[in-house]
Amino acid sequence: MTGTTALLVVALIIAAGLYLAVNAKVANAGRALLTLEAQRDELERENSELMTYFAQITSPDRLLERAVSMGFRPASPGEIDYFAVPGLQPDPEFMAPQPPFSQEGHRSGLSPAFTETLGEWLARVIGGAR
Amino acid sequence: MTPEPQARRRVQLVMGVFSLVSLGLLIQLIRVQFGPYAPVFAALDRGGRGLTEEVRPARGLIFDRDGVLLAGNATRYYLEVELRQLDGNEEIVAGVVSALLGVPADDVVAQLTARDKFVGALRIRLTRPDEEGGRWPITVDPTAAGVISAFLADPEAPDLAGLALVPLSQRVYPAGSLAGHVLGFVNQEGRGYFGVEGFYDDWLTGRAVTVQRSIIPPEAGLNQEPPAGVNLVLTIDADIQQMVEGVLQRTIEWSEAAGGQIIVMDPSNGEILALAAWPTLDPNAYGPWLGDQSEEEPVINPAVGGQYEPGSTFKVLVMAAALDAGVVLPDDVFVDTGEIEVGGHTIRNWDGEAWGPQTMVGCLEHSLNVCLAFVASQRLGAETLYDYLARFGVGRLTGVDLAGEVPGQLRTPTHPEWTESDLGTNAFGQGVSVTPIQLLAAVSAIANGGDMVQPHVVRQVVSSEGAYWPSPTTLGRPISARTSQTLTDMLIESLEDEALLIDLAGYRFAGKTGTAQIPSDYGYDPNLTVASFIGWGPMPGPRFLVLVRIDRPRISPWGSVVAAPAFQDVAERLVVLMGIPPDSERIALVGRE
Repeated sequence: MTGTTALLVVALIIAAGLYLAVNAKVANAGRALLTLEAQRDELERENSELMTYFAQITSPDRLLERAVSMGFRPASPGEIDYFAVPGLQPDPEFMAPQPPFSQEGHRSGLSPAFTETLGEWLARVIGGAR
Repeated sequence: MTPEPQARRRVQLVMGVFSLVSLGLLIQLIRVQFGPYAPVFAALDRGGRGLTEEVRPARGLIFDRDGVLLAGNATRYYLEVELRQLDGNEEIVAGVVSALLGVPADDVVAQLTARDKFVGALRIRLTRPDEEGGRWPITVDPTAAGVISAFLADPEAPDLAGLALVPLSQRVYPAGSLAGHVLGFVNQEGRGYFGVEGFYDDWLTGRAVTVQRSIIPPEAGLNQEPPAGVNLVLTIDADIQQMVEGVLQRTIEWSEAAGGQIIVMDPSNGEILALAAWPTLDPNAYGPWLGDQSEEEPVINPAVGGQYEPGSTFKVLVMAAALDAGVVLPDDVFVDTGEIEVGGHTIRNWDGEAWGPQTMVGCLEHSLNVCLAFVASQRLGAETLYDYLARFGVGRLTGVDLAGEVPGQLRTPTHPEWTESDLGTNAFGQGVSVTPIQLLAAVSAIANGGDMVQPHVVRQVVSSEGAYWPSPTTLGRPISARTSQTLTDMLIESLEDEALLIDLAGYRFAGKTGTAQIPSDYGYDPNLTVASFIGWGPMPGPRFLVLVRIDRPRISPWGSVVAAPAFQDVAERLVVLMGIPPDSERIALVGRE
């Protein structure tokens, strides 16, 4: 009797331990996901800021101002010589970057095998039995 | 059998440990339920276990044709305060906000302590007073936000408990007012107004989605990303735009004019390379434009929404109609007596003089109202003239992809107020209203071998599904290629005869000046005019079509004095920026190829 009770307790402890381990993994994965999402959002914001800053410091007005301060001036038509360069390919046309793909949501980043609760499993089994 | 004392002590120790852990959990539960953070969790609970929020995608970017970013997004932050988390640190929060942002500390303290104003409110957004007595939300840039975040994370830093940063996406225009009228602007609610921002607002905005954000790690999942707005590449060339804006500003200042526009378009496909308007619009500071909004003076892009009587630039359309209908030839001679009566209305020349025998080229060169009224009334007739003007799209929208376009006004014989005298005045651009973009589209038929192209400013649309290149649209073929060539030759000849007007060595241009009186409720203003010039070149194979319109110049009323030099300046720079060699070198280069 004592041996059986001890076996049951050990089995329960093992089951509880497994359950806790799985839940801890899920919680860790969820936390990592939240952190990564926050990092992604922050990086996107930084990227946007840098793109705007780059555009500001290379805007035509700023470049003209710098060129003039360095002693340059716009060329007049008579100061330009034209010549043909055989085989020269024109620069490729600018192509705007593609916006991010629309992404359908998922309830969780983990398989239901990890997230299904005992109650949900029972409901599924009972529902399936019907 | 009684347990041994040692075993009993072990059981008591284990029970003691369990009791302590249970007590700790109980205290934590009570703290969460009733402590300072309780309102935060309660707010989360009211909205479900996660946060339901509307997520808007980043607004699409706008580039010029070479990839210069014209409209982008930046992040600013609202300052919000969780009132129940304040622990007597109101003055510290106010002091930091004041030191960082220059907001009066007293004002911030007043917002934090005036609880009666926010009965039931758990969270408030800090505001600052403006000059007109209103209040605007305080926003901070990423640098200031970084300082606040560092303070919040540092236990040794000033106690900012309760202060929170809420990100806000804001539209920014890195090049300032460059191409402001083309771009339009986006207001604080994220809605686009005028220009490209207004016309493509739905496309640029994307689609907001509502998501349930769980903050409980096991329930965290990948949320649906909202469909992003498209990125646009404009036909605008930032370098040409900058140059054109400079020429316009100098012309306005020199001529002491009230305003003006210069538009540069590729006549072969309708791509607008530059569109400048004065007064300028800085989309980063659009407030004054909204402030001026009224029924009498709505905010408009004058290039597409500012209709005016075109004056003599309209004569090229009348002459095109006459040549195409075969009722006149370039060498036909008209004897100008200085006046002509049409529908009981006497029409005189701009100088009131009689110019004697003139060919049709001379009529255009000297811009003779009497001659054109004769051509319209006695050669073309009302039915034919208005049929041609309809083909040129006068009185109709061009469909340019800029918000705020108006169709102009043209009274035809079917209009109840039309009289025969309109036939005579319309012939020299009076009694008819067009927009600059409309006149440009109509004249593109003459510059483009008879095909009238639709002006447009977007050349590439890039969505998450791929890129789309809108193809040029032809609005019609109002005249034949032969008429187009004949009239262009006539206009080249008339400009060459007036060598002082446009003179650029090695290049030939076709064009026409215009000087239009301004109608008012009491007739035409005797002093104020709209001075204009429309021209294209270099010939043959014109690469650009330019319209210059200067409103109410004070230095001189004439298009030949005010607008033609601006065209000359623009053309001189365009041939350099677009890499167009002079005629002789162009022919030699083609020959070598």
